[in-house]
Amino acid sequence: MRIKLKTDGDIIVEATPDIGYVHRGCEKIAESRNIIKNIPMLERPNIADSSHLNWSYIAPIEKLQRVEVPERGLHIRTMLCEINRIASHLYGMAIMGGIFSGHTTMYMFGFGDRELLLDLHEMLTGARMTFSFFVPGGVRRDLPKGFVEKLAQTLDYIERHLSAIDRVFVSNPLFVERARGVGILSKDDAIKLGVVGPVLRASGVACDVRRDAPYGVYDRVDFEVPSFKEGDSLSRWLVRFEEMKQSISILRQLMRDIPKGPIARKSPLIVPRGEAIGRVESSRGEINHYVVGDGGDKPFRVKMSTGSFKNLAALPFLLKGVRIGDMPIIYGSLDYWPVEADR
Amino acid sequence: MSATPSSPEQDIVVAIKEQLGSAVENVTALDKGRISVIARKEVARDVAVLLQRFGLDHTLAVSGVDHPWENHLDVVYFLSSYSHDNLKHVVVLLKIHLERENPSLPSLTPIWESANLFERETYEMFGVNFEGHPNLQKLLLQDNWDGPPPLKKDLKIPELA
Amino acid sequence: MSTDPSKESQSSSPPEEMSQPPGIWVGSLRDLVERVVGSAPLKYLVNWSRLYSLWPVHLTTACCSAEFGAMMGPRYDPERYGMQAVVGSMRQSDLLIIEGTVTKKMLKRIKVIWEQMPNPKYAIAMGDCACSGGLFHDSYSIINDIEKAIPIDIYVPGCPPRPEALLNGIIKLREKIRREEVYPK
Repeated sequence: MRIKLKTDGDIIVEATPDIGYVHRGCEKIAESRNIIKNIPMLERPNIADSSHLNWSYIAPIEKLQRVEVPERGLHIRTMLCEINRIASHLYGMAIMGGIFSGHTTMYMFGFGDRELLLDLHEMLTGARMTFSFFVPGGVRRDLPKGFVEKLAQTLDYIERHLSAIDRVFVSNPLFVERARGVGILSKDDAIKLGVVGPVLRASGVACDVRRDAPYGVYDRVDFEVPSFKEGDSLSRWLVRFEEMKQSISILRQLMRDIPKGPIARKSPLIVPRGEAIGRVESSRGEINHYVVGDGGDKPFRVKMSTGSFKNLAALPFLLKGVRIGDMPIIYGSLDYWPVEADR
Repeated sequence: MSATPSSPEQDIVVAIKEQLGSAVENVTALDKGRISVIARKEVARDVAVLLQRFGLDHTLAVSGVDHPWENHLDVVYFLSSYSHDNLKHVVVLLKIHLERENPSLPSLTPIWESANLFERETYEMFGVNFEGHPNLQKLLLQDNWDGPPPLKKDLKIPELA
Repeated sequence: MSTDPSKESQSSSPPEEMSQPPGIWVGSLRDLVERVVGSAPLKYLVNWSRLYSLWPVHLTTACCSAEFGAMMGPRYDPERYGMQAVVGSMRQSDLLIIEGTVTKKMLKRIKVIWEQMPNPKYAIAMGDCACSGGLFHDSYSIINDIEKAIPIDIYVPGCPPRPEALLNGIIKLREKIRREEVYPK
């Protein structure tokens, strides 16, 4: 993506984002392939957080086919999504705290810890980032032997390391002075612009699809939705930090009692006539898929609405009137993923 | 799985019907948490203002759906609410039928600022002209695109074997 | 061929071939430098210095960049190979890694970046989409064959290729650089 700036000395007067450099026409291609072949293609837009895109595409198809996923399948889906959420937040924080503020420390912290979570992904699904693990009716493979023990060890390590990141980075005046009070988004502006995800929760609106419209097994676990009132870049960073701790707590609750039973139910290979919407909370915001079916095995229309595209509206608004030196921090705090916005 | 007569969705359907009066053709509950409102193009702006007063304060997406065999092109607005607790789990689909040749519609950006970029994308992908949009320009396609709007069914890409 | 030095200096023909031991030799300074540096042992010294400090341009094209980022991380550590990624400008780098799908809108900018990089420069096509179109080969907005715009040295297939696969590609590129001519004709 490209940002065109008009400046008056050091102050930005107007900012225009120019996107479309990764527009690959996913929605058009999806109309010409059958629903199972669409799964790997439609999870590539956000490769670091692909399980949420996968779930949001599968959910409306299951609604139209009237197939219910068994309990064990839902449980495994939720576990994979939460591990993926922690990995994706580490990526986002590594990029913002590392590349955009000029330190490589946070980059190495983030990517080093991420590798342990990618090992867990590989143990469960066979791939590091692009799983194609959810199918209409359930999941493709069962939990392997030793997975729960390895997950417990990894979560303990990540929790210890998060407190190290807290001491080294979050309380570090070098970082705090760059991010505090920079790029403030008020509550009314956040609702008006329709932003989603951590950007919304940092501005005082504690809305999260996992709490408001629960899917999977989120209605059976206890977790908080962190939100801050200030709405600046530091709060957006801290929301992600707190969400990682909440994800660790959700995973610990899910590990305790995994239900037994089948992991998937048979589902027909067609999309019945009708339309349905999927709503899923990914690490960058809410993802919606709108699927219209016409009775064949290819969807008639797939519309994807991703978190980064919705948050793009906030970028020109936040960049007006700030100094050029603050621009990387504001852009990094929105955690914009260009491939997801362009599809 | 349609909503039963006494479910929360039916309450919302009744409340929306009261609010909108005779301006709409059809308000139905599709599924748990999904309500569909079909409106005519001429009253689209008034319906939008009334829905905003009802409590739906942002758009989740704006999409077009091309039906060449039924000879119409739909523009669908997906609406939800952050500020009203009883509407947080609900998605309202506002559907407007347009003709396929030179479709045009008054823009709803003055009412929901969050629809701005989505309307630009629908203009580019379907050729729908949103009258009154502040900045109706290309967003995603390359600078020298000269074909038909890509997402209309006129543009065919080869199907996989 | 006579080896009489006085006869060589009187003729106005171009300098002798490399196989002749240089006695008195007439030619431009540039030809002299190319001849001395382009043959052993200096040739191996120059190639060694190039392959041990490949600096990549930070061009994030599409989703393979997540694996490129992972390769730059602590587990795979490319800094032991001399790849330092925190360079701001493309005028100071010599490796262009095209990660992921190349759209028509992006191709113009990739060409501009390629032309701004100083010689010697190398290009790696990473991922199935850069090699041949990949998953999105039938899309209306992508380029399937980048070879028409930029000469590619190494193709690394995969969707996305593991960081080890990309490192393998870089090692093969280093082998290629070790053997190449310093001043290609």
